[in-house]
Parts: sequence; structure tokens; C-alpha cells
Amino acid sequence: MLRMENVSKIYRTDLVETHALRKVDLHIKAGEFVSVTGPSGSGKTTFLNLAGALETFEEGDYFLDGQNVKGLSDDKLSEIRNQKIGFIFQSFNLLPDLPLFDNVDVPLRYRGMSAKERKERIEHALETVGLASRMKHLPTQLSGGQQQRVAIARAIAGEPKFLLADEPTGNLDSLMAQQVMELLEDINSKGTTIIMVTHDDQLARRAHRNIQIFDGQVSDIEKAVANDVIRSA
Amino acid sequence: MFNYNLQLALKSLKDRPALTFLTILTIAIGLGLYTTIKTMSYQGGQVPLAHKSKNIFLVQMDNREITAEEVTHQSRLVDTTYKDTLNLLAMELPGVEQTLNWYTYGILNVEDENINPVRATASVTSSNFFTMFEPPFLYGNGWDKATENNAEGVIVISKLMNDKLFGGRNSVGENVRIGTNVLQIIGVLDVWHLSRKFYDRGFSSGRPDNFFIPYTYAIANELPRIAGFDCWQADADIARSFRNENTQRLLNSECAWVTFWAEIPDEQIENYQQQLNNYIEGQKALGRFPREILTYVTNLDDQFSYINGRNDFMNVFSIISTLFFAVCLLNAVGIMLAKFMRRTKEVSLRRALGAKKKTIIAQHIIEVVIIGFLGGLLGIFVAYLGLQGMMNIQIYSSDYTRRLEDLQPLFALDFTMIAKAFITGISCTLIASIYPIWRLCNTPPASQLKSQ
Repeated sequence: MLRMENVSKIYRTDLVETHALRKVDLHIKAGEFVSVTGPSGSGKTTFLNLAGALETFEEGDYFLDGQNVKGLSDDKLSEIRNQKIGFIFQSFNLLPDLPLFDNVDVPLRYRGMSAKERKERIEHALETVGLASRMKHLPTQLSGGQQQRVAIARAIAGEPKFLLADEPTGNLDSLMAQQVMELLEDINSKGTTIIMVTHDDQLARRAHRNIQIFDGQVSDIEKAVANDVIRSA
Repeated sequence: MFNYNLQLALKSLKDRPALTFLTILTIAIGLGLYTTIKTMSYQGGQVPLAHKSKNIFLVQMDNREITAEEVTHQSRLVDTTYKDTLNLLAMELPGVEQTLNWYTYGILNVEDENINPVRATASVTSSNFFTMFEPPFLYGNGWDKATENNAEGVIVISKLMNDKLFGGRNSVGENVRIGTNVLQIIGVLDVWHLSRKFYDRGFSSGRPDNFFIPYTYAIANELPRIAGFDCWQADADIARSFRNENTQRLLNSECAWVTFWAEIPDEQIENYQQQLNNYIEGQKALGRFPREILTYVTNLDDQFSYINGRNDFMNVFSIISTLFFAVCLLNAVGIMLAKFMRRTKEVSLRRALGAKKKTIIAQHIIEVVIIGFLGGLLGIFVAYLGLQGMMNIQIYSSDYTRRLEDLQPLFALDFTMIAKAFITGISCTLIASIYPIWRLCNTPPASQLKSQ
């Protein structure tokens, strides 16, 4: 479903080369809920940006839903982001001057759907996150947790195969974080693959699987545990 | 997608009204001044009698002394002597019409003592003037050849004179007095829109002649002459006196002072030139035309092309207005850059959610086209005000012979200029927006999403 083979990402300036990710090998199956943890600056966001086709990479291959993303044109990458990926950000990234309805509408607009279909999807997505009655409100009229739920509605309205969440609870108090996490689990239970970057070990443990990134290198905990089991046997 | 981009563009314009207005105003002021000057240049440079301007010729022959300086352009060559004028008028070629022109002045009186006399300059000319140059008549018409040959006292007056002396009524048949000479009005001209008064070689604008008198009458009655008399050495000392006296000596002299025109059909142009050369050859035998044969037969198109090219006032202002417009556009670039770069986070988000680069470009181009359109619209209004201002300056800095109705066509925004202003406004705004849009669209989608 999502497979990275020897993927490396290097940021270059005139003076310095920074290896943000080093030879990442990773396979995430359809329907998995994967958490990604690691210290600040370890490369978590870079990993998520590559996984979300927001950035290109220099080495390796990345297969998303069976399609090699490497070398695709900017337009093609936009199409992939629009049709296969839903994004959830720590700072919500809602457009402040648009009502909730129009915020959720943004990715659907770029997919060229009919007005009727967009309306149905938006209403359904807002219902799923429990904000259908607020669709004419502006984001600033909502609490942080509600704003994040709108962002989730926006991410799921297009029914993507992947949800990429970059510290989705980072700006929320524990109660709201709990609600958002439950919502993500509910979405995952319906078959959507979720990759979630988080600093919160408790939340990370609720995922099916945890990936840790240190200094640009990915260690797949599940794989490591499996290997340990094989060795000890 | 167009509708969505249009919605976003309109929303963006409404969201920051001050910046939007500033951008539009910047473009409008630059475009307004640019269009003002371009319109003045365009209208002032229009060739009169467009339907036959290539067949209306100024005729010049070099009858100067052997010691005179060499001339390499028609604009530097003197006019025609009176005797050559008469000889050329007598030369008959099929389809060719000829006329002449010099200036006089006088104080026009009418019988009604309540009307103040008017001092005015005027054209002395021949009957063909009216058929060749086609001035519009309000009442009556020009004189005929017979009247001219008999040196009858007839006069064609301008609309301005008719308004001043007769309150605008049909004055044909009434008399006016110039000094002791009584002349009968046979025609009243309507407003005559000439971009430049070409027939006296003065190329002044918006200043019509006040009246027209047959040259035969002017000579017979020794009306004063306003002209530059380019004489041979023998007459040089008394050249100035020819303005008011020594008429017979002037007529027989080698002084050039009459502007001579011909309307020549295409098929006769070569023949006419040949006839001129033959004429000069014949005159050489009489001791005239001592220099190598030099003639200029220059049509209106070529004369206006030369005059427009040498219109330093307009050319300098044209450059200044273009530079000013460029500065305004640079300002617009700065404002748009500031406006667009505030939007990088939104654009990053839209890109992350699936907007293609070309969709973002289209959205902003629509916004820019609207700005350009509104800038063009306001710019045309600014240009209208600018042209009204320039026209009024010219009116106030002039005498009574210049009236709004004569100047209006020179400051008129016609469809061509309006269309040009729109196209210029939109295309220049688009050009000005290339860099801001390019900067915005090249913002990496991921770059702004992490920020708080």
C-alpha cells in the first residue's frame, strides 16, 4: 500500500548538506494505523512530507498505492495528493475567512466534482465529526478541538486511502486530544490507512504499529520485535 | 474551476480593499497620464483629408540665388514666388487642381454699431482652396473662378467670426468692412477640425482661420501680407516693406512667399513632376532658377510624418509619460508582491490539498485581469480628466480665436484610444504580475504548513 525502498532526502545549501532521511525502507499495509515518533529534528515531518508527496526525494523509490511517485510531474503529484491523501496538521491550517463548509470544500473543488456531490460529501464529513450544525460558522468561532475536527472533515471528505496527521493533537488539551484520537480510530476502523506523527507516547501506543525516527533513520518497532522473536526462538 | 477561481479572485479583492484600491489607483494614474499624452499625440498627429492625403502636395521649387545654402529637406526650402504661382496656376493638367495661400489681417466691421469690430488674421487664397481642402460650410459656399478673376470683394468667414459679428445667424449676402474695403459674405464655415493647420505650413493646432479672401482681391486692394519673404540680394533690403507696400515690386520680384499646393491624381504625379522640371528649364533661359534643379512635391502623409517625428514637446512628454507609467507599474508590482506573498500559507495549503500550479496561476491571473480592467476603467476616467485639463490650459493660455469646439477633437478620447488604454492596462498589469505570481506559485507546498 505504501512502500519506501532506500528513500533518502538531503537538504542542500551552498555550504551544508543535511541528510534529513537516510535510506528508509518501510512498508505500511492498507488499513494500518501507524504512529511515527522521534525527537524534534529527527526527520518526522520530512518523512510525512515525502509520504504525502509534498516534497521530492533524491534516492530510492516510493510506491504509493502501487504507483511509483519518484519523478512524477508536479501536476501528477497534486493529483495524487488530492485523490489519495488527506492531511491533518498540528495547527489545523483552516482558511480563517471561509466558513466550515467552504473549508471542507477546498480539496473537492480541485477534484472537479459536481456541486451536488460536493455538498453531500461535505455534509457527511461534517456530520462524521459532529459539526454539521456549524457549517456556516467561521473557524475563529470554534474551539481548537472543533477546528481540528473540521480539518479532519476536510481530510476525509474526499474519501482518501491515506490520512497523514502531523501531531494532530499537539495544540489541544488532553480531553480534546482524546476526542480527536477517538475520531481518527473510528476513521481507521472503516479502512482508511493513517500515519500519525506524534510526540505523545500514550497516543503512539494506541496505533497498530509505531515507527521511530532518529537522526533521519527509521526503525520499525514491529519489524524489530518480530526479528527479536525470531532470533530468540 | 473558472467559477471557483473567479470567486476566490473577487473575494481576495474584497478582503483587502485598501490594497486593491491602491493597486488599481497606481495603475490608473500611470495609465491615465500615459493615455492623456498618447491621445494628444494621436489626435494631434492625425493626417487631415485622410481620404486623399497622399494626393495633396505642397509644391516647392528652388529659385534661390547660386550663393544660397544647400537644402536637403523640403521643410528647409522656401515657398514660391508670385510669378511662379501664376504660371503654375495657368499650367493645365487633367485632374490636377492647384491653390495658393498667404496671410493677411484686418479689422472686421459690420453695420450694426452695437457689434464691436474684430481684429483677425485670415487666409488669402484661390477658389480651388475650398474644393481641395474641403472645409465644411455652415451657410453658402466658396467663390468661383469668375469671381476670382474679376477680383470681386467677396469673403468667406469662419463660424467664430459669424458668431461674433452676426450672432450665429445666416450672414450670407451681408457685408463686412475691412478698413475701407466692403466685402460681401458668400460663405460661412462650420467648425473645421484640422489636427494641424497644414496649408500655411505652420502646422499649428486648434486655431482656425477667421476669414478667406480671393488673392486677386487682396492684391488689387493691397491688403497687408503676413509672410516670410525670401528674396534675392537685390530685394533683401526692402523685404520687410513688402508686408504693406511695394506690391508691384514684390509681384515681379524673385521673393518666395506664397505657399503653393496641388491635388494630383496618382496617374499624373510623374507627369506633374516632369512639367515642373520643364517649367524650370524654360525659366532658366530667362535667367531665373540659377541653381541646379531642385523641386519638392511632398504629400500630406509625408509632411505629417516628418512633423510628428519632430514634435519635440509631444515626444518628450510621451517619453516622460511612458516612464511614469513604468514607475507606476513597478509600484503595482511591489503592492501585488506584498499582497500575494501574504497568501503563501494559503497557497501552500491549497497546493497540499491538490491544487495544481496552473490552477493557482489561473486564480491569480483572473485577479490581476480584474485589477487591470478596473485600472483601465479608472485610467480612462483619469485620462478624460487629464485631457479636459490640458484642453482648458490651452484655452486659457490662448486668445479668443481658440474655442473649445475647435480644440475638442484634439483632446477627444475615441474608441481606438479607449480600446488601447484597456489593452495596455490589462496587458501591463499582467506583465507586472508575472514576478509576484511566479514567486507565489513556486512556494513549496510543504514550506508553510508547519508554521503556527
